Amino acid sequence: MKLSNRYNKANILTSIVVLIITGIIYYVVIHFILTEKLDRDLAVEENEINQYVNTFHKLPLPASYLDQQISYKTLSGIISEREFLNTIYFNPKERENEPGRSLITVVHLGGKTIEVTITKSRVESEDLIRIILLITLGITVVLLLSLLLINRFVLSSLWRPFYSILNRMKAFEVSRMDTIEQEPTKIDEFNELNKSVNAMAERVRQDYKELKSFTDNASHEMMTPLAVINSKLDSLLQTESFTEQQGALLEDIYHATGRLSRLHQSLLLLAKIENNLIPDFQNIELKEMVEAKTRQFQELLEKDRLILTKDLAPVEVKMSRYLADVLLNNLFSNAVRHNVSGGHILIKLNQQGLTISNSGNPGHLQTKIFDRFSKSVESEGMGLGLAITKQICNLYGFCIDYHEESDEHVFTVYFGD
Amino acid sequence: MKILVIEDEQALLESILAYFTGEGNICEHVSDFAAANEKISLYSYDCILLDLGLPGGEGLELLTKLKQLKKRDGVLIISARHSLDDKLAGLDLGADDYLVKPFHLSELKARVSAIIRRKNFDGDNVIHFNEITVDVSAMKINVKGNQVILTKKEFDLLVYFLSNRNKVVTKNAMAEHLWGDEMDLSDDFDFIYTHVKNLRKKLLEAGSADYLRSVYGIGYKFGDI
Repeated sequence: MKLSNRYNKANILTSIVVLIITGIIYYVVIHFILTEKLDRDLAVEENEINQYVNTFHKLPLPASYLDQQISYKTLSGIISEREFLNTIYFNPKERENEPGRSLITVVHLGGKTIEVTITKSRVESEDLIRIILLITLGITVVLLLSLLLINRFVLSSLWRPFYSILNRMKAFEVSRMDTIEQEPTKIDEFNELNKSVNAMAERVRQDYKELKSFTDNASHEMMTPLAVINSKLDSLLQTESFTEQQGALLEDIYHATGRLSRLHQSLLLLAKIENNLIPDFQNIELKEMVEAKTRQFQELLEKDRLILTKDLAPVEVKMSRYLADVLLNNLFSNAVRHNVSGGHILIKLNQQGLTISNSGNPGHLQTKIFDRFSKSVESEGMGLGLAITKQICNLYGFCIDYHEESDEHVFTVYFGD
Repeated sequence: MKILVIEDEQALLESILAYFTGEGNICEHVSDFAAANEKISLYSYDCILLDLGLPGGEGLELLTKLKQLKKRDGVLIISARHSLDDKLAGLDLGADDYLVKPFHLSELKARVSAIIRRKNFDGDNVIHFNEITVDVSAMKINVKGNQVILTKKEFDLLVYFLSNRNKVVTKNAMAEHLWGDEMDLSDDFDFIYTHVKNLRKKLLEAGSADYLRSVYGIGYKFGDI
């Protein structure tokens, strides 16, 4: 739930409850006050009738004024209590029944007990209450509407800097050297957030830069001794006075240095792809490249008596030729390396993607195959090939997927998402 | 052939000199920018092996200098930097080839030989070895007047052997030369054996002497018996 929604909800709920309670209190209080006033008026009228009776010893005429009616009734026996009550009476002027307030009282005239009913119209006070209610309701609605509008527009514009900072943080990539720009805002909290985010990004970038330059330097410095070892081995080999046993030792050293330099190149390549330092972006005829690659791997296929099936459609992708070559190399080597003797490899290429499936021992590839240095026990590789492949795919927005089906290992590179 | 090696790493320099000296090659060497600058201004070489990271200056500047002097020396850049930019910059400035450290001396020799052949014979790109004649541009091999038909890989292998005659060439180096070092091959290079066997058979059938010898299982040597 968004902060503003949450806030809206609380705000509006509270407003509604408070306004309703206010309305009720208003209604009750005003109703009470007006009734009180009517009752006072009725009491004044009663007083007047009593004075009239006391002075003239007769009843005043049962007049009906504008909003006031007086009627008499001779009672026999039962003396009713003096009481105020709400009634409905007939207003002759308006020719309709109207709500009224009546005072029933008794006067004594010459030994007779006469019940006097004084009725006053309640219409005005009802009207007043209605108007007050309507105004209250109107204010409630206007208030709610304005709250909604404020939340909708003011809040969202208030939060805009926050979301824009958030988006920049999401898009932030340490390898790309762009800065998180300052978002202009007058709100202190966001300014502070912005500053902290920028400071953090700067720190991260600085650390990354240092690490990167260290790796670069270390790599280059390591290449020279490796070159020396390699050249010395080549020179040593030319002296030609070795026993068979020494020859085997030499071969082992060769293998180790070869491995070391390949490992090294792979790590450098990985770093370069991650930093997008490989510039030659061009259209690649992938079909031709796959064909060439199968020719290149011919000897390896023959050695393990692997049967290769191709189903290739002409496909053009935009990427570096060098990386395309690396990508195919890694997928092909993988398919050959994790195969069984006399197995098969199927290569399928179409607009959606490139699929390479090969027979192999089931289940010896784990889920983390795209991680660096993750490799199966029997693998001869370094565990970097698929990590590089994955990085290349990431660089160009391709998607690589691996799954196993009925003793087959299937790698698919989808061009596009 | 006159070769200038510009390399500041002494140990590597010695190995290169040892590998290249002999067979009528004259190798000179310098280890810093100033000395290299002087040498290339004063003399001409068939091929210059240029290390990019030199004390006292950037190796690429020497290439610019060569261009200014309108010299036709072949240049092979050897660099620890496996960077496409450097490679393109180097080739743009007139270098003939680019080799990344670490490399096999046999690969270096093969590339230098190729550069020198291209420079010296301008189209007439032929290697002679006793009774074997290889026309590299036309991809034709002649042994005692007999035409030998080789596959592309066998042909490349023969040229590689001839560039490194009388040297032991490792299977590893051969594999990298034929299939490229990007291939991430397994350490098992037995499949090379097939190509070597076929090449040898074809040469023997055409009447050549048996020049190929296997050495300790590590590699092969092609040379005078």
